[in-house]
Amino acid sequence: MKIAVLIKHVPVSNDVSVDPETHALIRANSEGMINPSDLNAIEEAMVLKEKTGGHVTVFTMGPPDAEKSLRDAMAMGCDDSCLITDRCVAGGDTIATAKVLAAGVKRYGGFDLILGGALSSDGATGQVGAMVAEYLSIPHISEISSIDYNDNMTGKLEAVKKYQSDNFKIRTELPALITVCFGANNPRLATLRTKRAAKSKPLKTYTNQDLKLPLDKIGLAGSPTVVIDSSTPEIQRKAEIITGTPADAAKAIRALIQKEEGKE
Amino acid sequence: MEKKRIGIIGGGISGTCLGYHLSLYDNAEVIVFEKDTIGGASTAKSAGTVCLFDDSLNNRYWDVRLYGFESYLKMEQEEKGSAGFDKTGTLVVATDEKVESVIKTGIALTQAAGYTGEYITDKDRIKEILPDISTENILGAGYTLDDGYFDGTMISNTYAKKLQKNGGAVKTGVKVTEVKMEDKKINGLTTSEGESYEFDYVVDCTGPWSKFTGELVDLEVPLWHTKAEAFFLSPPGKKLDYTFPVLKYPAFYALRAGDNIFICKSHLSMDLNNPMHAGQWDPDKLPATGGTDDYFIDFLLDQLEMRVPGIVDSGLVSSWLSYRAEPKDFLPILGETPIEGYILATGYGGNGVIEAPAASRDLAKLIMRGESTPLLEDWAFKRLL
Repeated sequence: MKIAVLIKHVPVSNDVSVDPETHALIRANSEGMINPSDLNAIEEAMVLKEKTGGHVTVFTMGPPDAEKSLRDAMAMGCDDSCLITDRCVAGGDTIATAKVLAAGVKRYGGFDLILGGALSSDGATGQVGAMVAEYLSIPHISEISSIDYNDNMTGKLEAVKKYQSDNFKIRTELPALITVCFGANNPRLATLRTKRAAKSKPLKTYTNQDLKLPLDKIGLAGSPTVVIDSSTPEIQRKAEIITGTPADAAKAIRALIQKEEGKE
Repeated sequence: MEKKRIGIIGGGISGTCLGYHLSLYDNAEVIVFEKDTIGGASTAKSAGTVCLFDDSLNNRYWDVRLYGFESYLKMEQEEKGSAGFDKTGTLVVATDEKVESVIKTGIALTQAAGYTGEYITDKDRIKEILPDISTENILGAGYTLDDGYFDGTMISNTYAKKLQKNGGAVKTGVKVTEVKMEDKKINGLTTSEGESYEFDYVVDCTGPWSKFTGELVDLEVPLWHTKAEAFFLSPPGKKLDYTFPVLKYPAFYALRAGDNIFICKSHLSMDLNNPMHAGQWDPDKLPATGGTDDYFIDFLLDQLEMRVPGIVDSGLVSSWLSYRAEPKDFLPILGETPIEGYILATGYGGNGVIEAPAASRDLAKLIMRGESTPLLEDWAFKRLL
């Protein structure tokens, strides 16, 4: 089985700021890592690769330093990688990003299955996977918790999707795109040996010269989404420890309730 | 008795330990200023190994090592967990005769102080202690069961608590923005909150930040940063079925961290002339995690394949980069500077947890009584001029 995994190079949490003009995340100065649920997608790809003797290619769209996440993915076992990087794709919303990723996957070609994380830790829209599937005109299943595949399922694959308290088993024809929930499995760890090996694994770079997408359809120019405002939530939680005898504590609690009621 | 007012910049192991030792004097008025949290910066990234014998500090200063170790044992006796002691023992591997000689001297000093220590040449016995080790190309190993590693952050917070109990003060989240002088003599400082304080002495305990702190008084502090690059490894099979001791080789050291193994390049193997090892950087720009160099992966892989092959296929759980502050001779800078009243307690490199108690004991004596000690003479600023 030939598998593509779409990953995102996201800022390490607590290490990011917001541009006051564009309201976009400023990623230039922050340390990057693989988006957490993408690690679960990579793990699913590794399990399928082991079952089917397949080949896994990892894709990302991002700045040149997103190569770090591609190398980390290859240290986990992905065979090769593709970095889509170009100034003209920067600042894209989910639609513009999905167009670029779909074009990259299509140009690379020949995949039976495309996997990705269900949500990114910095954007958390959960839209890109489904959009890529639509642009590639293939079926998709979103937010799955496990994948089942055996040799009798030629050309098909089953995934389990949790919805509220129930599990749904969904079967799809291949090629298909599936997004994997955070925590669906325990992603394997790289080792020193695989880290070193990953440094010399193949990495292909695509720019828009390769993808030939119209400039008004990608990046900021091709993004219909407009962020009007953004703000950091004000934390208003506060705690007070009430001490003393149970009777004193009860009086204090009553006084607090009365005080709060008086505010309304 | 005349009061002496001392302001300490930096709330890591250096600042809190000095603050505590000063607070033992009735006439000391001490305030520690920490811009973030106590023991939360480079101290938090210290391995905290305080071994009775290894090569991290020359045997000439063995009493410094012993005083540190026993200070933390006492802390643990007063309140269990207050120094974060994990008594794993230590295995120091002799890779050549020079290292062997240092280990044997350290063991003799350890035994003289009443602790256990032995030099083992029986390779089966060494493998019993550390089954994952390779005993090829080694002469033997020094071993003690009595020591292990401590938690620098816990110790710093315990010292902070003790110094406050003795009447001192600790101000966290407060940055020192100006050190005030009159007639080339220190007379106080100003903080980011706009508060002004009067002091007779200001002590720089900012370690990797000392180069920048020194700029507040136009003092060039001769420190370089060496990279402390560390990995946390999850051993194959996920859980060790033996007590992993503090393991010391000349080029690297390792210790257990829960079910994982912490591993780091030793600071004495760093080359100040190698830009991959050393430089002068801004510690505020260090990422919380990650940031290690590719060469470190190659270095560790080669070392583990040769030295500890049983853990070479461990999973890489996490990594971080920290900066150690090192003068050219890799020893701390303690005591007076050309600026009257401006004192240094910095440059501990990777050895702050080991050296701070003895250094602070002596520095407090210098500040409060004007008495120097052989240790202060050895580690004085003037040696670097």
